[in-house]
Amino acid sequence: MASATAKRAATLPTTVSAARSAASRRSSYRRRAIRSDLLVIGFWASGALAAALYLLTGGAKLFSTPAAIVTSLGIVTGLIGTDFILAMLVLAARVPAIDSAIGHDRAMALHRALGKPALYLILAHAVLLLLGYAATAHVDLVAQTVSLWNTPDMPIAFLGTGLLIAVVVTSLVAVRRKFSYEAWHIVHLLSYAAVLFALPHQLSVGGVLAQGTAQRVYWIALYVLALGSIITFRFVEPVVSTLRHRLRVDLVEKIAPGVVSIHLRGNSLRALESSGGQFFVWRFWTPRTWWHAHPISLSAVPTDSAARITVRDLGTGSKQLGRVPRGTFVSFEGPYGLFTDAARTAPKLAIIAAGIGITPVRALLEHSTLGPGEATILLRASTEDETYLWDEMQELATSKGAKLYTTIGPRSRRAPQWMASADASRGVTLRSIFPWLNDSDVFICGPQAWTDLVEAEVLRSGINAHQVHTERFDW
Amino acid sequence: MKTRTVLGSIFASIAVLVIGWQAGNAATIAASQASASATTGGATGAASTDSTAGSTTSSTGSTSSKSKSTSSSSSASSKDGTYNGTTVQTEFGPMQVAIVVSNGKISDVKPLQLTNADGRSQQISNYAVPILRSEVLSAQSAKVASVGGATYTSDGYLQSLQSAIDKAGL
Repeated sequence: MASATAKRAATLPTTVSAARSAASRRSSYRRRAIRSDLLVIGFWASGALAAALYLLTGGAKLFSTPAAIVTSLGIVTGLIGTDFILAMLVLAARVPAIDSAIGHDRAMALHRALGKPALYLILAHAVLLLLGYAATAHVDLVAQTVSLWNTPDMPIAFLGTGLLIAVVVTSLVAVRRKFSYEAWHIVHLLSYAAVLFALPHQLSVGGVLAQGTAQRVYWIALYVLALGSIITFRFVEPVVSTLRHRLRVDLVEKIAPGVVSIHLRGNSLRALESSGGQFFVWRFWTPRTWWHAHPISLSAVPTDSAARITVRDLGTGSKQLGRVPRGTFVSFEGPYGLFTDAARTAPKLAIIAAGIGITPVRALLEHSTLGPGEATILLRASTEDETYLWDEMQELATSKGAKLYTTIGPRSRRAPQWMASADASRGVTLRSIFPWLNDSDVFICGPQAWTDLVEAEVLRSGINAHQVHTERFDW
Repeated sequence: MKTRTVLGSIFASIAVLVIGWQAGNAATIAASQASASATTGGATGAASTDSTAGSTTSSTGSTSSKSKSTSSSSSASSKDGTYNGTTVQTEFGPMQVAIVVSNGKISDVKPLQLTNADGRSQQISNYAVPILRSEVLSAQSAKVASVGGATYTSDGYLQSLQSAIDKAGL
């Protein structure tokens, strides 16, 4: 076994309360699954509805000639593409209902997955309509382009398409690496402009959305919904929350080389209703740090007036966090994430964390009400220096009746590669640490590549996917 | 993704598309029946269906022009008559209007050809043309704003109208 530091509290009768909480977990999971299904179904249905808006204007007649087919496809791709872009805005808006149904990281994964299809649809819209209109009017493409360019609201729509290309291209993985987060983010904000620039031509040139039609009302409602979510949950709500709780840096405590715990003071922090394991996006208002937003989990359950985060200097921005003076004003957005007790579906709890990934796990453990022997924890570090907050985990494990194992040392070259080589070669396996793995909720948090390895192995054990919870710090 | 989600998405999307398709077909059939009955009503049929919204304004307009005509009837009458505008090609088909000039004023605009490339452009014509007509009658020129959602139709309409005004020498 890994350097076993198993501690177990005296066995207590857990039957009644454990059974009840298992039942309530199952029903809350079912509710969440239904909401998540409805979100996905609603998304696809909205795409179909966008196409139906056009079909409504003429049915089969819209596809009567080759030119009409090309034109019709051009209009349909424009409608669906715009619908997708508006859905992307909603997914990125950090709407609480979406966060609690599928989690912020999954919402952002969907947002990213939609980027290229949406751009292709919009480009197809432009090309197909040029071809279709040119064929209908019996003019060449250049003349058709000039004629469209001279149509009111069209130049700005072309500009919007250009912005959209810039936004998507800078977000491609290979290209994005070349940009700092902040530069990429500024380009990304242009997507709001792109969406707004596209609106006038939809309402004036687009016959589908003509004045006085139900289609126009629906379309404007979609825009209001998407931009309204962004304004509400990305701007207004964080500002109101920041002003209400008035967080300031109380103490910066160095806990290991390159790792600090930042203690914050504020008002009525319980009203944030953050669950252990959730994260916030923080901004520290000093001249050197204010333009960096940091997604960081709380590393302890907050009291009404104090909260704590623990940060490792992974980037230029987070390095400077170790030097923010006491009293620095802190703005924040959050709490976000489903890496919490609320996401549990199974009777047992398995926690696997590495490095600075300890922070959400520590808060999760502190926040959870656990029966003796319910939880098993495995902590991993490359060196003794990286055992951040392990002493606190030890104490929590003892008080919650959880078993705690650790695995320290360079990573194993053969499977399981996510474990320290000394333990792997001794024959320690996932199953030997977590004998009830398939009856457990597995929470994994650590560096991206390591997390992927662990998650893959956990899933290979045949566990239900909804029992596996990972947190990737996504924006 | 779960089977339930996939199936739900597929069924919801197909249902929405089928309803849109059916409703679109039904609307087109209704529209073509309406236009067929209008054309059987004779040469003035097309104008009368289009101008239901504008008919009240045109009648008041004509009475006011009559009252004015007493003062300047002799000079104005030389330009009186009907002038056809040129045919303008638009994205949705050819467009041509004629103006009726009485007492030196545009007293009516008659559509000779309206955009009818498909069901949608017929619908656009049906609602945009009365609006354009009443605006032109009150402005007495082709320099009026195009109707939102009917840019091509408006542009074609106003271009043909301008050529008719030019012919009339107004």
